[in-house]
Amino acid sequence: MNTTLLKDDLMATEVIADPHSYYRTLRENERVHWNERWKGWVLTGYKEAVDVLRDADHFSSDRMGYLESELTQEERESIAPIFNVLKYWMVFRDPPEHTVLRMLLNKLFTPVAIERYRPMVRKIVQKALDKVVSNGRMEFIRDFAYEVPMSVILELIGAPDLDRDKIKEWSEAIGVFFFIKADEPRRREIACEGINSMVDYITPLIQQRREHPGIDLISLLISAEEAGQLTYNDVLATCVLLVFGGHETTMNLIANGTLALMTHPQEWEKLQKDPTMIKRAVEELLRYDGSVKSTVRWAKSDVMVGDKLIKKGERLLVSLSGANRDPLQFDDPDALDITRDPNLHVAFAHGIHVCLGASLARMEVEEAFSGLVRRISCPKLEKTAKLDYYPSVVHRALKSLPVTFQELK
Amino acid sequence: MAQVKITVNHNRCVGSQLCMHFLPAVFEMNESGQSMVIDANAADITSIIQTAEQCPQCAIKVEDTSSGEILFPPPGLGF
Repeated sequence: MNTTLLKDDLMATEVIADPHSYYRTLRENERVHWNERWKGWVLTGYKEAVDVLRDADHFSSDRMGYLESELTQEERESIAPIFNVLKYWMVFRDPPEHTVLRMLLNKLFTPVAIERYRPMVRKIVQKALDKVVSNGRMEFIRDFAYEVPMSVILELIGAPDLDRDKIKEWSEAIGVFFFIKADEPRRREIACEGINSMVDYITPLIQQRREHPGIDLISLLISAEEAGQLTYNDVLATCVLLVFGGHETTMNLIANGTLALMTHPQEWEKLQKDPTMIKRAVEELLRYDGSVKSTVRWAKSDVMVGDKLIKKGERLLVSLSGANRDPLQFDDPDALDITRDPNLHVAFAHGIHVCLGASLARMEVEEAFSGLVRRISCPKLEKTAKLDYYPSVVHRALKSLPVTFQELK
Repeated sequence: MAQVKITVNHNRCVGSQLCMHFLPAVFEMNESGQSMVIDANAADITSIIQTAEQCPQCAIKVEDTSSGEILFPPPGLGF
């Protein structure tokens, strides 16, 4: 067994920089591995990941419930603002509550429902590109990858454009609790401040929509509440989730996908020559270096995963990045091939918790890359730039991506 | 009543179970946690199409067996 591997430090600099090599080594050695440091199982094989994600009978997503049980009364009180919102998030709920919520919210996010937003997204992409294409260089994340999904979510909830920087700041604060800076000592306080600010911001928006309904997502949620299908807490928590989840993961997906194409310029050119490849290309970018590297489940009873017995209450880190590079599922998994088909990756997870916003993310990323290949040459990393990722087990998030390119006329 | 053929593409189905919850008489999960059709005649066409629409993966195809017309998904939808 590789000794470096068994340091089990999921936040080690080299693991953050190149998770794929780490998870490959782990998968080749032990597909279901007990990580002593994290005190849980790490799954890096595709079959094992899919078996767990599709089995909500044996594996729980009740993150708040498990966290609550580990804390003292005092600790629980100190993070009450987080609990009071996050316990209503669909992603942390199990059936039967999850099923009721999902069946309702799903209607707003089907591929058919999402298509109506495509012209709006196309305009946002054009506008973002108009601002930068003639410069020949940009900080890709700030100028494009962030710009597009943030503008889309503001449109979807009907919030003023001026609020984007505040929303970004609060989302980052909430993210500290889960994803980024797991070693930040004040992470709970920071997250509480973030969630309180987000709630203070969203509460009047909900009130406004209740008085003057529109066709935005908040209005749709309120009508479900008024029909008795949702509680007010569900509406508020879902709005926070939409704002929080609605931009950062998509931003990272656009950035990671661009970097993947920059390092495989022949794939960029293929897409440029034949834009009809866009849908398959997006699936491959999701598989190759998606924005969510892992997700967590808890065993509800003693259960076998692969060749290991998982005991009731133990937690499992399902490595989506690891599963997406498993050679037992994908031929030549470390190659980027935008024509890959079939491509049943797990970038949005599988099972009942498959990403609610998947169709929206797909459409945004399709529009983003269709716009990019039409307007600019394959970008190149600025000569002095170094790639640096945020230290997170969950998010695959570049800090910045300064690039140069040529405008296509 | 027109007959329909329902196909679930297992290269796309991720086992969201939504089809099963919306139309339990028509859809069930197989041993791998993917959807399968147990009775295509157990619901009316409108409900079947509405359920196919709920699939986040566009994995469900609905065809009119007599005309061969694809009732869902419309061209270009999905990925």
